[in-house]
Amino acid sequence: MVQSKKQKYLFLAFCLVPTFIMFSIFTLYPLFSGLYYSFFEMSGSSQAKEFVGFDNYIQLFNDEIFPATIWHDYFLVITKVIGIMIMAMFIAVALTQLKIKEAPFYRIIFFFPNIMSVVVIGILWAFIYNPDLGLVNSGLEFIGLGEWTRAWLGNENWALASLVLPSIWAGIGLFMLLLMGGIANISKSYYEAARIDGANEWQQFWKVTLPLVWPQIKISILYIVITTLNGSFIIVQVMTGGGPNNATHVMGSYLYQQAFQQYNFGYGATIGVMILVISLITVLILQLLLRRDKVEY
Amino acid sequence: MKRLLKNPFVLLMMAALLMIAVACSDDSSSEGSSDDSGDNSGEAASEGEGLSGTLEIQYFVGGYGDSWWKEVIGDFQEKHPDLEIVEHAGPNINEEMRSRWVSGDPPDVVYIDGAGSSETQMVEDGQLMDLTDWVKDIEVDGKPLMDSFIVPPSDFDGSVYSLPLVFDAWGTWYDKAWFEENNWEVPSDFESFMNSMGQIKEDAGISPFVTTGQHPYYFLRGMLYPAFGAAGGDELLNDVITGAEGAWTSDAVLEVMKKVEKMQQEGYIDEGFAAINHTQSQMNFLLHDNAYIPVGFWLPNEMEGDKPEDLEYGFIPSPMNDASDPMPIVPDMRPLAIAEQAENPEAAKAFVEFVFTKEYAKSFSEHTGAIMNLQGVDLSSNENVPQYLIDANEMINDPEQVQIYHKPHPMSADLETPISDSLVSLMLGNITAEEFVQEAEQAAEEYRNSQ
Repeated sequence: MVQSKKQKYLFLAFCLVPTFIMFSIFTLYPLFSGLYYSFFEMSGSSQAKEFVGFDNYIQLFNDEIFPATIWHDYFLVITKVIGIMIMAMFIAVALTQLKIKEAPFYRIIFFFPNIMSVVVIGILWAFIYNPDLGLVNSGLEFIGLGEWTRAWLGNENWALASLVLPSIWAGIGLFMLLLMGGIANISKSYYEAARIDGANEWQQFWKVTLPLVWPQIKISILYIVITTLNGSFIIVQVMTGGGPNNATHVMGSYLYQQAFQQYNFGYGATIGVMILVISLITVLILQLLLRRDKVEY
Repeated sequence: MKRLLKNPFVLLMMAALLMIAVACSDDSSSEGSSDDSGDNSGEAASEGEGLSGTLEIQYFVGGYGDSWWKEVIGDFQEKHPDLEIVEHAGPNINEEMRSRWVSGDPPDVVYIDGAGSSETQMVEDGQLMDLTDWVKDIEVDGKPLMDSFIVPPSDFDGSVYSLPLVFDAWGTWYDKAWFEENNWEVPSDFESFMNSMGQIKEDAGISPFVTTGQHPYYFLRGMLYPAFGAAGGDELLNDVITGAEGAWTSDAVLEVMKKVEKMQQEGYIDEGFAAINHTQSQMNFLLHDNAYIPVGFWLPNEMEGDKPEDLEYGFIPSPMNDASDPMPIVPDMRPLAIAEQAENPEAAKAFVEFVFTKEYAKSFSEHTGAIMNLQGVDLSSNENVPQYLIDANEMINDPEQVQIYHKPHPMSADLETPISDSLVSLMLGNITAEEFVQEAEQAAEEYRNSQ
């Protein structure tokens, strides 16, 4: 049966219009609203607002806390990318290449944090770091390193670093599965050929596994960067609230504080616009840095 | 172009965009003005009798629970059976109701308390009804309501927008039984406070003082406000809260901050305080990990389920005063207000008037272990009121022991947040008292410039 042009367009519209409507309502509209509100001074708890032009942007560029929040975000991005990718790759290789009998069990165990709410993870780790009852300090005391104990989340120098561990722990599982999928697709014949050529396990990893799972690595890094820039707010909010003395504020938590705790909604929207700009620039730079030809043998 | 418009796909996309634009546009015609508020009130009969329509009441449920509210609302409902009362209550109610306030469709009555609420902000946003003239005619047991308050309503340029319902007072809590057992002295001034903490540290091997670093305003309101009151009276308290020029760098404030610095240097402040929230700090206090904690009257009610059997709550005004001065208390009122855009203002006014009676003030203390902001309520012989409240009430009403200082209104979050941040640094020993006052003064300057 030959499909008429009209039917073809109707079918296309049937598929695209609902998605486009949803996308417009839930993505485009908030995005442009945020941009619009960034030009106003408003508390966010009433309809009253006053047009202030670029005042919020000028204030943002003179804000002493905001640059620190950008640094905190990138600190988390860098440590999370390194930590998660190393750990996820290590576990993925171990579970696929080392013929471990209990591999399915470990796969579930490592994936488990991914099905937990970030809020639950934050509360759990806040207890683990508790200065008096927490596992970390108790463990250090148990192994004779009592002088290393401290109020991890209450120390201006250590609080941010302390957020890295739960973030990595919570993120490994998903990327482990992604990499395992990539590794499973590599033909065994490549490893056999490499072995015949005299390559040891380490060389096989660098010359066969890594180049062939590069697309998965690239996606993982991009995903970690984007989710960290947009989502590290939750773990910060739950575990430290941005403190002590702003030592752990990331852009998202600072936005929340300004918009909903200090009632500077317009300024919060300005921070939101900056997060969007910074995220876009970061992703573009990453795309350039991670550009590498797809390897096929 | 014509060809493009004939394309059904393009037409469909344009129709969809138009629909979105209509759906998302500001519906300015739906913005209700206060003039509309009379519509529903027309259903109300005169003088609040036989009220009808709907009355929406928003109240925060925190440390004081909701049993008192249930009783009062139940009684009001009984009196006005034709009135439909809708309660919006809970620990997160301020966040949950935010969209209603933003969209100009607020509840009629609001009890302003808890996280996410700010009386100052609501007044600045024009969300609360001006009660100045109305309240003049309200009486409690034959006496004008305005003369019956322990603490008068917040003053916003001579106007009254809310009526202080709960007389909250921050102070310092200790375990009376534990202190008696160890013969530890209960302090009455800063010197005896330091001596007491030194003794406790030596005897029990603990850091005697704890507070929450995640919510530094507990220390600010619980320890510093009384200290500023004691050091410079209502004037200094007013200046630091409004961020007056030079207030934070004044000698009196520096002297107070030196006291805090001394507490830190002596190791009396729990080193882990900055990491913990208010509930964890209160748990530490109950578990005798610490001996003193600054919290409001709600502490016993909030921690009811966790209290060890042998712990006996003791409450003193925060001892930041010099030996020659009475102990300072700065009440922190939790007000009741009517929305400017209330749909049933007559019922709202009738409810507010209904609440402020001595009978409900007595019942409030029984339900919550705290004090309602009305004078002449005798708690001394009431067996249903906890002993610590009877003691505290007696102490507060004795001017030789305790001096009450008044703040003009709550500190703006724009000033309180940066000052709280610096305060945590000072209490961690990362900055000195001199550096703190400079940072606070800078925050005050930025706050003034933003007004």
